[in-house]
Amino acid sequence: MSPDAREEILPGTLDMLILKTLAARHELHGFGIAEAIETGSGDVLRVEEGSLYPALQRLLIKGWLRGEWGKTAENRRARYYRLTAAGRKQLEAEVASYRRVSLAIERILSPA
Amino acid sequence: MHRPNVLEMMRRVRYLVFRGRYSADLEEEMRLHIALREAKLVERGAAPVDAHDTALRRFGNRTNLRARSRDIWGLNWLDDAFADIRFAFRRLRARPGFALATILVAALGIGATTAVFSAIDAALIRPLPFAHPHELVTLRLISVPLEPAAAPSLSAETQHYLYLTDVAKMHDLFSGVGEYASGGLNMENGPRPLRVNVGVVTAHLFALLGVSPERGREFTDEEGKPHGPRAVILSDAFWRGPLGGDDVLGTSIRLNGNAYTVVGIMPPSFNFPNESQLWIPLPVPMTIATFAPFRGYVPSVAFARLAPGVSIDEANGQLLSRWRQVLHQNTGPTAKYDERTLRELAAGHAVRPLQRSLVGDARRAFVILSGAAILLLLIACANVASMLLSDAAARRPEIALRAALGASQSRMVRQVLAESVMLASAGAALGRAVAPAVLGVLRAMMPEHLAGIAPAQLDLRALAFAAALALGTGLAFGSWPAAIAARANAAEMIKSGGRGATSSLGSARRILMTAELALTVMLLVGSGLMIRSLARVLDQRMGMNPEHVGTLELSMPDAPRGIEMAKVHAMLSRLAAEPDIASAGVVNDLPLRGQGGISIAVTASDAVKTPGDSTPFARYLVANGGYFETMGIRLLRGRLFTSADDSLAPPVAVISETLARTLWPNADPVGKTFVVGGFQPPRTVIGVVADVREQTLDGSVLPEMYFSLDGSGAPNLALVARSTMPPKALLARLRDAVRAADPSQPVYNVRTMDDVIAADVVPRRTNTTLIAMFGAIALALAAFGVYAVVSYGVTRRAREFGIRAAVGATGRDIAALVGREIAWILALGLTLGLAAAWTLSRVLSALLYEVSGHDVATFALAPAVLLLSALVATLGPARRAMRVDPSDVMRAE
Repeated sequence: MSPDAREEILPGTLDMLILKTLAARHELHGFGIAEAIETGSGDVLRVEEGSLYPALQRLLIKGWLRGEWGKTAENRRARYYRLTAAGRKQLEAEVASYRRVSLAIERILSPA
Repeated sequence: MHRPNVLEMMRRVRYLVFRGRYSADLEEEMRLHIALREAKLVERGAAPVDAHDTALRRFGNRTNLRARSRDIWGLNWLDDAFADIRFAFRRLRARPGFALATILVAALGIGATTAVFSAIDAALIRPLPFAHPHELVTLRLISVPLEPAAAPSLSAETQHYLYLTDVAKMHDLFSGVGEYASGGLNMENGPRPLRVNVGVVTAHLFALLGVSPERGREFTDEEGKPHGPRAVILSDAFWRGPLGGDDVLGTSIRLNGNAYTVVGIMPPSFNFPNESQLWIPLPVPMTIATFAPFRGYVPSVAFARLAPGVSIDEANGQLLSRWRQVLHQNTGPTAKYDERTLRELAAGHAVRPLQRSLVGDARRAFVILSGAAILLLLIACANVASMLLSDAAARRPEIALRAALGASQSRMVRQVLAESVMLASAGAALGRAVAPAVLGVLRAMMPEHLAGIAPAQLDLRALAFAAALALGTGLAFGSWPAAIAARANAAEMIKSGGRGATSSLGSARRILMTAELALTVMLLVGSGLMIRSLARVLDQRMGMNPEHVGTLELSMPDAPRGIEMAKVHAMLSRLAAEPDIASAGVVNDLPLRGQGGISIAVTASDAVKTPGDSTPFARYLVANGGYFETMGIRLLRGRLFTSADDSLAPPVAVISETLARTLWPNADPVGKTFVVGGFQPPRTVIGVVADVREQTLDGSVLPEMYFSLDGSGAPNLALVARSTMPPKALLARLRDAVRAADPSQPVYNVRTMDDVIAADVVPRRTNTTLIAMFGAIALALAAFGVYAVVSYGVTRRAREFGIRAAVGATGRDIAALVGREIAWILALGLTLGLAAAWTLSRVLSALLYEVSGHDVATFALAPAVLLLSALVATLGPARRAMRVDPSDVMRAE
């Protein structure tokens, strides 16, 4: 699959995907999160990579993530993000709400 | 959903404070991301150059991303606000005239209103600094009884009267009563004897007010009894000042020759009543010694604390009925005075709130002044609004163009708002600076009894109110035209060069201008009436010539009569011996000195008594012959006192014209006799002198009688001397004369007679000056407003005038066109203003003196002055209109 054929992420789901990604891993930097979402979706979903950063700022402000500066394996300075307790709760709420919505859409789309 | 909480707010604040660091962090993250992506692409076999491009493309628009992040931090509005403010500042700096004018106008309105309301707050609104001040009332005509030994002749008739001792028993009405008076005493103080302000108070007065001494104690019951131990309580300022703040409790100070033990010191800033420096007890009943700090009578004020649940009306009604009961029991010869007493009580109030009695007559002046200040503030606001509207009209093409270029409407309105806010804030700041100056002038108007306990301070609430009004005006009249302009069709606007004026703006400006003119006329009429009253007062025949007269006052309460007279004669002969002093004299009470004197009932010996006649009262004065000469009081008949009119000679009197007319309307009074107070031996009239205004310049003329100094003596005296030498030198001579006679004798109120008179008219002068000042500012604002409106009209119609000139209109025709624009506004504004002033002048009439509230001259002059100013304001723009060159206009097309 060429990169251009990948699906854009639905608006509003990026926050949830970031939270979910970080829930599975201990901590990741921005690039790591982007990579994880892409590979995690079986290379189906593509993040417009830059838009990850405003989203991360929003999650930081809300207190769902915590960011700490550390070093990468190549010894470069990077900010590593980590889920907070509040973030975990938020993820549950968002996943539940997403499930409800997608189930509803599924019902409409699938033949009776 | 997630609700913003405290932690989130704190994080946002942190972003706000450390915005630089957070921006750098974000930048570094984004760089790292792109570098990692690039490396990964290269690893997968892409060419390094392509990899870099691809990485950038995949990342997206970084500027946009940065902005989105900052938006999330909540910083964009802040940046916008800063940008708006910078923009507004640049625009204002480009038009310094407009900015300065607006700020100045707003500052004047804000400053004047703030000062006036601050003074009013101190005088009328702010509660007195006493416990439960709303319960405190004054009781009219209630006094402390005299002990029988002090007034044997009065004891029979004084039974039928209400005294403080009677009121003290009315427990159902009052939970406590007290009495105070304000006087002066001489204090021995080494080589520099002092005259001190003394509060003479009943024993538990401070407890009644709810204020207790900071050190020591209040007066005891024992000290409050007649002939009780002599005790004194000091004010904090007097203790720290003249007494040096030493440990003085238990020591004694000498007042009028007697030792008083210091028993207490009051808390700082307490100096009630009348800026007292120390307090001594007012014994109940009073003794002869009680009179020492006063001039012949005790000017005491009775007051009480209402019992819980008793209203002022209730107390007033009950006390009045008690008065009736007591007075109607009197069937003796003094019963005729009782009706007078009752009438006086019923006319005023037997019980009044303490604060209200302290403020007294000044109340109305304050209310009227506040009205004037509000008028001025409204005029200022109308002016600011009108200026903003003109400015907005001038900016319409610019705003329309920017709207066409994509500036958002809200953003443009916000920019105009930023400008308005800046103008209003600058106006408020400047107004804050102006206010204290006005307040300083106003302090002179504060009633004496309030001075000290309720000092007028700049009231920040008043400032906030005035500033808010100015800001509101700025916001309303700044943003509204901007909104209209932003919505307007840009293409039309640019095509027409902005000439197509929005009619709603034009009519709004005309309405504002009309209102401004009407308000200005009202203020001008008010100022005119006040100025004419002041002129009448100053023109008042005083009955004397105060120029070149120096005065000082002294009190010799304890000297035996002989020694006292010897000292006075020593002072007088020393002054008389000086060649450059024309004359010198002595009187017990200076005219216009601002304190009530004593009036006593008088009866002509040959009067035919008819029941129902009211007994005349005459003011009691003691003087020597030199007094009349020094003060320039004309002798109309008979002779003045000589040193032969001493206490051994038969009693004589010099009477005033009015008293002569009252007692003997159809006969020469010289040689006739009259009886004073009903029990003294008859006095022979030796001379008649001109009436002198004793009380105040704007009061009525009272009948006056003078007794001979050598015959009657007087413990409180004013020394007067006339000389053409500089006032300072004359006053020094007066001091020297007293010091030579007795170095231990303190003197006070050393001043020229002109100063005495000036002090008398200070409240009226202050009032008039302020209202006139407001009127003058209003006039300037109105003229400026007229100028702005006409000038704008000329600019707008320049093309029309040019065309008219081209087709043959003369300068006069064009000037008429310009004039017509403002004529209707002027006519309507003046008519409305005069009508309002005619109706409202009734309110002012209480402050007027011998001038009708509908004074025709004032009502004619005020609009004339305004018309003239408007005419002058129109001249400039009209001349500009006449000079419009048709060819210029054509070329501009």
